[in-house]
Formats: sequence, structure tokens, C-alpha cells
Amino acid sequence: MTAPILEARGITKRFGGVVAVNDASLTVGKGQIVGLIGPNGSGKSTMVNLVSGELMPNEGTFLFNGTDITSLPSHRRARLGMARSFQLLRLFHSLSVEDNLLLANHMRMKASIAASIFGRSSAREEEQRARARARELLAWFDLQDFADRPVSALSIGQQRMVEIARGMMSEPSLFVLDEPAAGLSPPNVDKLIQLVRRLRDEFGVSILLVEHVMRVVRDLCDHVVVLDSGVKIAEGAPDAVVKDPVVIEAYIGTGWKRRAQG
Amino acid sequence: MRVYLIALLAFAGLAVAPFGIGGYETNVLMMVLFFVILAVGLDLVTGYCGQFSFATGAFYGIGAYTAAIMTRDFNTTIWVHLPAGAIVAGLFGLLLGIPALRLKGHFLAIVTIAFQTIVYLVISQWTSFTGGQVGLPMPNAGPVTVFGVTLFEFGSLRSYYWLTLAMTALTLLISWRLVNSRLGREWVAIRDDETLASAVGLDTTRGKLTAFVAYAALAGVAGVLTAHSLRGVTPDDYTIWISATVVAMMVVGGRGTFIGPILGAVFLAILPELLGKFAEYKMLIYGVLLVLVVTLMPEGVVGRLRARAAR
Ligand SMILES: Nc1ncnc2c1ncn2[C@@H]1O[C@H](COP(=O)(O)OP(=O)(O)OP(=O)(O)O)[C@@H](O)[C@H]1O
Ligand SMILES: [Mg+2]
Repeated sequence: MTAPILEARGITKRFGGVVAVNDASLTVGKGQIVGLIGPNGSGKSTMVNLVSGELMPNEGTFLFNGTDITSLPSHRRARLGMARSFQLLRLFHSLSVEDNLLLANHMRMKASIAASIFGRSSAREEEQRARARARELLAWFDLQDFADRPVSALSIGQQRMVEIARGMMSEPSLFVLDEPAAGLSPPNVDKLIQLVRRLRDEFGVSILLVEHVMRVVRDLCDHVVVLDSGVKIAEGAPDAVVKDPVVIEAYIGTGWKRRAQG
Repeated sequence: MRVYLIALLAFAGLAVAPFGIGGYETNVLMMVLFFVILAVGLDLVTGYCGQFSFATGAFYGIGAYTAAIMTRDFNTTIWVHLPAGAIVAGLFGLLLGIPALRLKGHFLAIVTIAFQTIVYLVISQWTSFTGGQVGLPMPNAGPVTVFGVTLFEFGSLRSYYWLTLAMTALTLLISWRLVNSRLGREWVAIRDDETLASAVGLDTTRGKLTAFVAYAALAGVAGVLTAHSLRGVTPDDYTIWISATVVAMMVVGGRGTFIGPILGAVFLAILPELLGKFAEYKMLIYGVLLVLVVTLMPEGVVGRLRARAAR
């Protein structure tokens, strides 16, 4: 395996009496797509929120490119090169598609806030460059016609694409995707699979992918980690993991078999 | 560019207005301008950044009392008081911004009400420092001199009016630049979704604190101008009623629209003058208006018109 970009070591997160994540560890190698799966309520989104810094773990350590980031708040992690999407879509709903992307680039801007307030040319030119890049990315995602529209005018599928474009706008080295296929029609799921693969192949982004749709996991992931009630119960190659009796056991009654085979 | 042109024409009109109207009307216009500064300031923190505050009256009072107390103790002039009032109020704004880092919505609103109450109690009860219920008198701002040459004497109503007008223009320009800057866009991001804002790398702490400081500093400037033009300060000019009035102005006009709170301030500040003997019911009328706007068009008049135009 290549050098890890993300290492989660012995992570535990409790909500009152609920142990949402229980001494779980996982590693994402550079250039890898790692899947994080498990039944409903098994702690996947909690793990994503812990990785991105929205939640702080009770125990355990996170390393990003070898540095300890456990105590960093989420905006600091983003600045180190971590982007994420949300299970329940999140966008700045009163802003245009382009401005949504632009905000993800603010942290990379070099001109001072004062320069921006006084409308200095350094700040204006930098913003123009960022807007041009946002348009390029939107074209890449086939969204160029929507740049000036408010995000609320887009379909759910398009909003999901804006979310991913926004993540790419921040030039991440690790992209954490929380169920990006949720709510997409089957043809759009195919497009998503293509797209995620291209993010890795063309932009060299490492990806931690939480997903319920097994087809996505099987097609994309180099490695899969399985959570059940917050505990890591298995990991390995996707095809091996879905056949693992422990994993099947964990999913019985939750429709896993149907999904795994479908 | 068109915005600047319209603004320029409006200010030119207001600048010559005192030649055509009486002293009473000039006073009313000046009061309208105080409220314009207050409403635009509140719009920065609430309309753009999404943080509620019922403490406008407190920051307004802090600016006014800074001017009055500095006049009494240091015999300084209005040119010192304007920056000093902005800085002192801005520092208190920073202080009030700290609870906003953890509290949201109603809880933050309650803290700002508490802050407003504390400031009122201090200015009305700490008699030895603030003059208590009676307040403090202020002399004329004195002559404006450059290298010992007197340009003009402060004292006439018009001179205060013009200074207020100039400061209104300046604060509006600064606010306009702020909301159209990177910082202003970050304020809107925080208002829309704070979790997402930090997930995309924005420092929401900086965003909220700068919004509170800008808001408080503008109210402080309005306070300095008010103290000088009224030739003194009394605690009852800086109560929670002022805060509530400014909230009504902002909400009726349209939060986060920039022009909305300006129009709201003009409309609601002039309204009592048109009501004649019913003016004593103005808070009631503001209240009813606020309830109507919040239920029927929460985005305010200008917000609604813009949404219409976009469709
Ligand atoms: N903020 C919270 N407060 C209390 N309990 C929480 C919180 N967030 C998650 N939980 C609990 O933690 C457990 C794990 O939830 P989580 O959302 O991480 O699961 P998940 O694997 O993402 O599920 P799904 O597949 O439905 O998205 C659940 O029992 C959930 O109720
Ligand atoms: Mg989840």
C-alpha cells in the first residue's frame, strides 16, 4: 500500500449512552478509494464528521499526511486539503452556484481581506481567477449553464454535483463523500461512478466513500471497511468483504443480502 | 456604477435640503440619518451574518456616552470622539460577539437583551461617572481649524446636519464595500449554514466577530453624532426601545438587502411625524408592522420585490 494520507487510530465517539463509534481504525492510502459501509445507524456519518472535524472524538487519534490533526477544528482541516460532502446535501442556499464554489476557494486566496474591502486590483484579479476556475469546474461537471442560478433552482441530482464541484474547488488531497448516490436515479448513479473515478485518476484525489449502494462500492473501492454498531467488523477487498459471513450476519434483517446481490 | 450615481444624487439632494426646509424638518432629517446608520449596521450582523441582536441601543449609547464623558474629562473635540466612539463601541461589540460563537437564535437574542439591559443600568445608575438619570450636558463642538485658521464654527443646526450627512455617506460606503467584499460573502455563508462554512475552510469565529464589531462601531458613530447634536446625553435615549425600533426598520425594509433597512429606517423614522397626535402610539404601530411583515413577507419589502423581479 502507498503512504497513508489519512489514518484514524482507535477512534471512539459517545453520545450520552450511545457509543456511535467504538475503537475503530481505518486508513486511506494516497490515491486510494476506500469504502466505509455498514447498516443504518452503524456510525458511518459519525466517523465522517469526526474525520472532518465537525465532531471531536472521545478517544483516538487522526493523522493527516502523517501530522496529528485530532485537535484541529474543521476549517483548519479543510485548509490542509480535506474536502467533504454531506449525507443530507448542504449548500449555501441563498447564493448562486458560482458563489457556492467561490466560497470553497476563499481559504486559498492570498490577497488580504482589507485589499478585498478596498477593492484593490490584487484582490479583484484573484477573485476573477477564482471565478474563471469555478466556471471551468462547472463545465467539467456539465453545470456551466447554471453558474448564475441560485442553488435552490437546481434538481437534487444537480445539487449533488454542485457539492462535489465545490469540494474540488478547494483543491483537496482527500475528499470524504457521505452517500453521494443517495437520491440519484440509476443512470445518474452510473455517471457518479465515472465521475468519482475520474476525480481520483485525473486529479489524484484520495477518497473516503461512505455508500449504501453496493454497486458503487464494488465498482470503485480499492478497500472497504465495515462498521456495525460503531465497531469495525471487517475490512478488505470489496468482493471478499461482501461474502464475509460476519458482515452478512450484521446485515441480516436490514436487506443487506438483497442489496449485496443486486 | 449606477448604484454610486443614485447614491450621489440622493446625498446631493440631502445636502442642499436645509436651505429649503425649516429647523424642525432639518432635525427630523438628521434623526432619520441616525437611524439609517443604526439600521445598516444592524443589517451587517443580522441581515448578512445571521446573528440576532437587540443591543443596538446599547452600542448607540456607548458611542454617545464616550463622547460626553471624554468631553467632560478630557475636553476633546468631536473629531476625536468619532473614532473613539467607534473603537469603544467596537470593543464592546467584540465582547458581545464572544457568546455568539456558542449561542444561536433565541439564546443569542436573550444574551443581547441582557447586554442592553446591563448597559442601560450602568448609564442610568452610575451617577458619578455617567450623570445618572439626568445625563451629561455637552458644549458646542467648537471651531474647526486647520493650522490655526478657523474654517467654520460648530454650533448651528446645519453644521451638525452636514456632519451627520457626511458620516452617513461614509458609513454607508464602508458597509457597501464590506458586504461586497470577501468578508461579506463569508458572513452570508455563516448565515446560510455555519457547519458548511467551516467545512469549506472559513473561519466562522473571525466572520462573526468582525460582523459584531462592524455593527457596534457604526452604532457608536451614530451615538457620537447624536450626543453632539443634542448637546448632551440622557439614558432614556438609548433604551431597548431603540433596539426594537431598529430591528423593525431592518425587518420591514428587508434583511440582507442593503437598501431595505435604509428605506425601512426612513419610513419608520418619519412615520411618527406624520401621525400627529397619534405619534405616542408609534411603538404599537411598529409592533403591528413587524408582526405583519414577519408573517406575510419575512424577507421584507425590498426582499420580496427582489424575489419578484428574479422570477
Ligand atoms: N448528534 C448525535 N447525538 C446523538 N446521537 C447521535 C448523533 N449523531 C448520531 N447519533 C447516533 O449514533 C449512531 C450512529 O449514527 P450515524 O448517523 O453515524 O449512522 P450511519 O451509519 O451514518 O447511518 P445511516 O446509514 O443511516 O446514514 C446512531 O445510533 C445515531 O442515532
Ligand atoms: Mg449516515
